[in-house]
Amino acid sequence: MNPRSRHPDLQAIEARLAARLGAGLTERAEQLPHDIGERLRAAREQALARAAEVRRTARRQPEAATDAGVVAVIRGGVALMGGRVGGPVGDLAGGPAPWWHRAAAMLPLALLIAGLVLIQHQAELEQVRAAAEVDVALLTDDLPPDAYTDPGFAEFLREPAP
Amino acid sequence: MASDKDLSDFLKSVEKRAFKRTVYTVRSDDAALDIVQEAMIKLAEKYADRPPAEWPLLFQRILSNATMDFFRREKVRSAVMQNLSEFEGADDDGDFDLLEMLNTLDGSLGTESALDTVSRTQILSAVETEVAGLPTRQREAFLLRYWEEFDVAETAAVMGCSEGSVKTHCSRAVHALAKALRARGITL
Repeated sequence: MNPRSRHPDLQAIEARLAARLGAGLTERAEQLPHDIGERLRAAREQALARAAEVRRTARRQPEAATDAGVVAVIRGGVALMGGRVGGPVGDLAGGPAPWWHRAAAMLPLALLIAGLVLIQHQAELEQVRAAAEVDVALLTDDLPPDAYTDPGFAEFLREPAP
Repeated sequence: MASDKDLSDFLKSVEKRAFKRTVYTVRSDDAALDIVQEAMIKLAEKYADRPPAEWPLLFQRILSNATMDFFRREKVRSAVMQNLSEFEGADDDGDFDLLEMLNTLDGSLGTESALDTVSRTQILSAVETEVAGLPTRQREAFLLRYWEEFDVAETAAVMGCSEGSVKTHCSRAVHALAKALRARGITL
């Protein structure tokens, strides 16, 4: 025979007893040590900060979708290249990003490319200048007598001047 | 739309019970704090824009999942489940005797007799110890149903089981607690 059918108020008794036990547990939970309470508070604040961050990101979602892949943080003066590493500019700057803001974000990249081109050009000039110095030194130096016995030099002398 | 204050108030209202409930399961304050924090952050990240009325269920579900993830990470889940089955299998004591104990306990509800023999703190500590010693599923069902005050359907949703299972777990938990406390000479 089912004990519940014999004692129809069993569930009510269980519920009343469980409520007593629950009240005891609540009382106990309110007596948590101070440091635990503080750590719970810190966890709560961290969660709230995350919620606020997610909410901000959601508001900027359309801008993030059009992000070209080059992200710059103007405020910090740091440029990050190669994808959405730091999120959209608007998020980090704390407001909407106007066109000039985005154009300014591209400025460091443009300067970097121009600098690299300039350095390359300078390096080539240096190489040409060094080769010219060697040639001048060779051509203005005295010709050693052995040179006239060299068949290659003799051939060079017979060639018409360009 | 829910405000930050709503979310803050909600988290404040559940954080202590969530911590305790997790401690009963993982038996470590530090691990429990980490799990509660993880659950809070997940709720805030994913469900902060949902109606506040949905938060209690969502939070308890997230907390349960986070606790299970903890055990998976610790690679002790199998041991826990093994212990669980052992406990469940041992639950074959006579219902009628337990009912008598319940009736005895119920008869003394609201009286101060317990305070005469054992201090209130000791009683609460014993209650807590016995709750922590319940099999995992029984404890989960008992705490959700009677501490978080979810109804049977909500408890079943959080636990991912049938309503019948919830009722069985709760009933067994109450009987087990009554018996254990009675053995300690405690009436409520």
